Amino acid sequence: MKKLDNKDTPKLNHSLVTDLTLMKKALDASSSGIILTDHLQPDNPIIYCNHAFEVMTGYNRNEIIGHNCRFLQGKDRNQEARLKLKEAIAEGRDCRVEIRNYKKNGDLFWNELYLSAIRNSKNEVTHFIGVQNNISRRKKAEIDLLYQQQIMEKQIIERTRLLRESEEYLASIVQTVRESLIVLDKDINVLSANEYFLKTFKVSEIETKGKKLYDLGNGQWDIANLKEMLENILPTNNPVEDFKVEHDFPHIGKKTMLLNAYRIELEGNYKDRILIAIEDITERREIERRKDDFLSIASHELKTPLTTIKGYMQMMTRTVPENSSDKFRNIVSKTELYVERLNNLITELLDVTKIQSGNIELHKELFDFDKMVAETIEGMRMANENYEIKLEGFTNAMFNGDESHIVQVLNNLLSNAIKYSPNANHVLVYLSTVSNYIKVSVIDYGMGISDEDQKKIFERFYRVGDIQQKFPGMGIGLYICDQIIKNHGGTLWVESEKNRGSNFSFTLPINERETNEI
Amino acid sequence: MKYKKILICDDDEGILEMMQMILEDDFMVIAEQNSLNVYTQIEKEKPDLILMDLWMPVLSGDQILKNIKKNENLKNIPVIIISASTDGKKIASEAGANGFISKPFDMDNLLETVKSLVP
Repeated sequence: MKKLDNKDTPKLNHSLVTDLTLMKKALDASSSGIILTDHLQPDNPIIYCNHAFEVMTGYNRNEIIGHNCRFLQGKDRNQEARLKLKEAIAEGRDCRVEIRNYKKNGDLFWNELYLSAIRNSKNEVTHFIGVQNNISRRKKAEIDLLYQQQIMEKQIIERTRLLRESEEYLASIVQTVRESLIVLDKDINVLSANEYFLKTFKVSEIETKGKKLYDLGNGQWDIANLKEMLENILPTNNPVEDFKVEHDFPHIGKKTMLLNAYRIELEGNYKDRILIAIEDITERREIERRKDDFLSIASHELKTPLTTIKGYMQMMTRTVPENSSDKFRNIVSKTELYVERLNNLITELLDVTKIQSGNIELHKELFDFDKMVAETIEGMRMANENYEIKLEGFTNAMFNGDESHIVQVLNNLLSNAIKYSPNANHVLVYLSTVSNYIKVSVIDYGMGISDEDQKKIFERFYRVGDIQQKFPGMGIGLYICDQIIKNHGGTLWVESEKNRGSNFSFTLPINERETNEI
Repeated sequence: MKYKKILICDDDEGILEMMQMILEDDFMVIAEQNSLNVYTQIEKEKPDLILMDLWMPVLSGDQILKNIKKNENLKNIPVIIISASTDGKKIASEAGANGFISKPFDMDNLLETVKSLVP
């Protein structure tokens, strides 16, 4: 300052000095670093700095005055801001830059520099004034933000890639799955169809996409019943399950298709799409039909010679001579027993086909339930003298049902209980009434059934693996029992433990008025 | 005592012979294996009862039965249908049969059913 005073205004009056002192104090009070440089001297040296500038840079005044500002940049010389600054100085323009500067101890700080040129009366630039603020904190926040943005962008790219990959993955599953799949919008227009659909129905994507489902082919899906159900899927979320369509389709002819339709939901994003899965069951149905036909014909054919054998057998029993030996009588009665067993097996086979084709006939009549049970057990006792069949409890019920069928169920459960208990000598039959149901339990102490097999023994032709060799049978007895009980409105189930025994129980519904008054 | 006359018809020779043996002690039995001959046999023999299988080649039992029931002179002859088929009973009653026996049958049941229709 002194230098300046001496050079330009050697004779200053007192008030001017006071003013300058005040202004200097004001500049020192500023929190912004302020410097003045002399543009008329070579290399534009700093001729003034305020206190804040000292604090900001860590340098003393005497280390600052006479230097060009660039000393604050240290070795960081290739900044874009520096070029901007250089140009502004050369052209004598004002400018604002954000520049990396270094304190005396080497710490980086971001300096926001406002550069302003001072001109003399000839409009020559004589000085520059630089007002600077340490904006490291703001800059750091900005940089952090930028960094976070970059991370986020990277993550978005990665997520998008993953999403696209999983979409492609799903699409490839949908395309390769061997089931026809189509997606419909809320107006039952086809949004997409997978390759298997196009292959199955021998149609192109153009013929399918964007069309109304009911307009596809020759109107094969234009079925009033189906229409109603499909249109109910979105509002009610009730799926269409196993809807059978028999139709003469274009290109592929007469086929039976099984249709399943569900509302698609994507994490609550949309609920207005329907997925339809179509399965061609023509062949399967044909095979099943042929098998049922075969069983029906086979059992019918087997019955013809059996009728003759049974007839002769009965005549033989009646014509056994008075004086014939016990051995001969035994042979005749054993033969009769086994003919009857053969007859039962064939009847069972026929029953299965009847059940399969839905032809099982129930001849319902009121009968005394407890009496029926007692008689059935008596018959079983005579045929299995080594086993004790205990009967406990009672129902006191008159039951309205097909007595011969219920006898068949009981006989089946009893003979199973005996058959699969080679090391036990007794079976328990327990009768009770529970609410408005008759309950019958047949309890044995035999080999039991594993949890896994318990689920399957009521399926037809299922036989438990390890007993298949030791115990003959076709695996249809329990299937028939289950169907008979179901046809009477009851349930049949098993509770069993391997090597401890089994408890087969069934319930049958009775009406109050059919219970005997005691 | 004059024996009642029964015409039995089944395409299976074994069954035909066996039925004849069951019935011949109490009835005069005419056995016919060929369903095509049944109708002429009926017209010729005028049996008191007809016992007939359902599933026979060429002409089935229910077809013959329908013809019998259409004929004024024959429609009063009781006809029993025998069958091993599941829906035999339904078919027989729809065709107008007077009785039905399922195969394999019980000998006593056969005799009882026959006797109830020709006392």
